[in-house]
Amino acid sequence: MNPADMPQHPASPSAEAPTALMAAIEAIAQGPLKQQVEAIDRGLYPQLIMRDLARVGAMSAHLDTDTQGADYGLAIRAMAEVSRVCGATGFMMWCQAVCGLYLQQSGNPALTGSLLQAHIEGRGLGGTALSNPMKSYAQIEGMLLRARAVEGGYRVSGTLPWVSNLGPGQYCGAIASVNSGAAGEPHEIMFLLHCDAPGVELRECPSFSGMEGTGTYALRLTEHFVGADQLIADPTRPFIASIRAAFVMLQCGMAVGVTQGAIDSIWAVEGQLGHVNQFLDDRPDALQAELDELTARVMQLAETPFDTSQEFFIDVLDARAHGAELCLRAAQSALMHQGARGYLLSSEVQRRVRESHFVAIVTPAIKHLRKEIARLSAEEMPA
Amino acid sequence: MTVPLPFQQYICEACGYVYDEALGDADGGLPPGTRLADIPDDWACPLCGVSKHDFVPYVAPCLDQLRQQAGRVALVRSRKVGRAGQGAEGSVVIVGGGSAGWQMAEALRASDAELPITLVSACAGDRYDKPLLSVALARGLPPGQLVKESGAQAASRLRLNLMAHTHAVRVCPATRQLRTTRGVVPYSHLVLAHGAEPVLPDMLAASLCWRINHLAVYQKLRAALDGASHELLIVGAGLIGSELANDLALGGHRVTLLDTQAEPLARWQSEQAGQKVLQAWQGLPIRFVGDVQLAAAERVQGRIRVSTRCGQVFEADQLIAATGLHTPSRLARTAGLSWDQGIAVEAQTLRTSQAGIYALGDCITVEGQASRYIEPIARQAKTIAAQICGGEPQPYQVRPMVVRVKTTSMPLTLH
Repeated sequence: MNPADMPQHPASPSAEAPTALMAAIEAIAQGPLKQQVEAIDRGLYPQLIMRDLARVGAMSAHLDTDTQGADYGLAIRAMAEVSRVCGATGFMMWCQAVCGLYLQQSGNPALTGSLLQAHIEGRGLGGTALSNPMKSYAQIEGMLLRARAVEGGYRVSGTLPWVSNLGPGQYCGAIASVNSGAAGEPHEIMFLLHCDAPGVELRECPSFSGMEGTGTYALRLTEHFVGADQLIADPTRPFIASIRAAFVMLQCGMAVGVTQGAIDSIWAVEGQLGHVNQFLDDRPDALQAELDELTARVMQLAETPFDTSQEFFIDVLDARAHGAELCLRAAQSALMHQGARGYLLSSEVQRRVRESHFVAIVTPAIKHLRKEIARLSAEEMPA
Repeated sequence: MTVPLPFQQYICEACGYVYDEALGDADGGLPPGTRLADIPDDWACPLCGVSKHDFVPYVAPCLDQLRQQAGRVALVRSRKVGRAGQGAEGSVVIVGGGSAGWQMAEALRASDAELPITLVSACAGDRYDKPLLSVALARGLPPGQLVKESGAQAASRLRLNLMAHTHAVRVCPATRQLRTTRGVVPYSHLVLAHGAEPVLPDMLAASLCWRINHLAVYQKLRAALDGASHELLIVGAGLIGSELANDLALGGHRVTLLDTQAEPLARWQSEQAGQKVLQAWQGLPIRFVGDVQLAAAERVQGRIRVSTRCGQVFEADQLIAATGLHTPSRLARTAGLSWDQGIAVEAQTLRTSQAGIYALGDCITVEGQASRYIEPIARQAKTIAAQICGGEPQPYQVRPMVVRVKTTSMPLTLH
């Protein structure tokens, strides 16, 4: 059959668009990003690169616009291509991508208009402060931000540790629990939090072992006012239920990319060290086969990102867990394959080990994923 | 003279940093001896930046106690088989801690004293006879009396690695790995024995109705009934629903039994099973209402209200559903197994469509037919064990089942 005869999705981009996007991303990743990757690991926030990536469409392929249909598979591949070179930048792409998802799905005209457009084009950069609420919904910890209803909106106080892709002029999606006098159903609000707004303070974090250039701060809110124009969702639970699979699924791009980068490093020394490396566990062909199988699975999940069934969400959580586990093994194996040269502090192999640790511990971490799968798998019975 | 209170410790709920009043926080400007109450509001946790309001009192846990708890978990995981990512030669992994799973383990151990076996169970893996759950309701037996052997004891006797309270999530046939909520388990042979689970009609929310399919649920229902006499509503008058009605009535409860069919046990209509069982129940507080379709169920002031499409309304203290079973498809789907109302297995070998994967018990179908009875399980286990351990072939034979309905006053035998 002639491909031209195939039915076309009305809003789908032309067949060349994904290829062009991937080529543009590869050019950035292999060019300016590769040059700065060490500096980013040590603390440089790559704002220009983030803006460039946004400008070519690297962090908005999953969003429906007038000119394109949402393509989660493409968004994940984009993130993987960057993470293959720099895990920190891949992580910030995820932050930017889910923040865009919040804005678009909010249905709030104050957020879906020019603000979203600026976000898509990279004139606006933002992150997500949902680590704590996601753990709270999974019954792992309590909510750190608290809101009380006031005339025309809410006043929010509390501190969030470790929110990424932030900086002056930037923003993130956040959730606060609403204090209501009566002991009823829990109530939360989700809102767009501007770093420069009154009652908001960014605080430096202590040093992490890697990924220092991710614009990560503690956010302290003191009686910060949230009005209708900032509201992403009220209440939040139906909103989170609709986006949770997309939120977790997009993170698979980081795992796939960091794993691929590790496999690349193994092949890089194969010619010289293959004669001894053949005795190691987790050889590159086996890792690649497992990665390809996982990637194919993720691409299939990416076709229905808003499937709200429990079975689908368990599949997404498990793919994310598998990605983290594979990433750890691949990075470790790359170090074994490279030997002393991979142990140099300046080695990309050394950096990638730390990036793989991040993939495994960032919310939802492997342990959270397993606990959540167990919780969702348990039969519900009368109280 | 007042004695000063001893210094306290507080832990940051966000990151786990412990603030010790005796030590203070020199870098944060708090001299030793600064009470939490006296810390200024703008002080920040030195690790994650939250304020003192996110700190809660902390008492260092007793390490010996923690080690003991961890030791109990280690006991059931003492024999770690193989390593992730490797072929783990010879390890057999069984999914399911019910009759089928344990009989499979028994049969394998009987054939091979050294074979490494791992059994993955969503529950504790305690051994009990499921058909007796209903009888136990009649006699008011405490759950402990139903357990013949704890999972941990059985694991130690059979020298196998029991992964209790562990959910099997996905089979990766290419790498021969089972993904679980407690890590990845490599297998040389995989035996699926995870059974079937109750299926509910759409209008019945899981939070409203009991399904008596596990010991743990029996335990919870017993607690909810709490020794008193209750009004109970049972939906579904098949074999399980009818036995439950019988046994709960014997246990002193008033039972209303609903079904879409005109009589109970409608599957055995040709043998007049419905009339016989209704006769047997004459002296019991059981009211059967047939020919009704459920329309809605809701909780009203602590009680359950069920309405039917024909406009009848029933109220009860507890609602129990016995509306059929279906096989969970997750593992079969992820392994790419042939499916025919259940895991399709070859009749004589109980092999699935994927090399190295077998299945037995309630989760299988032979030519599209499930056979959810106890009797075939031991024979099925022997058939599979003979293939895995390389013994004399023991082809499985499908036999017609005889069903005994345990109505105490007039036992029924159905074909």
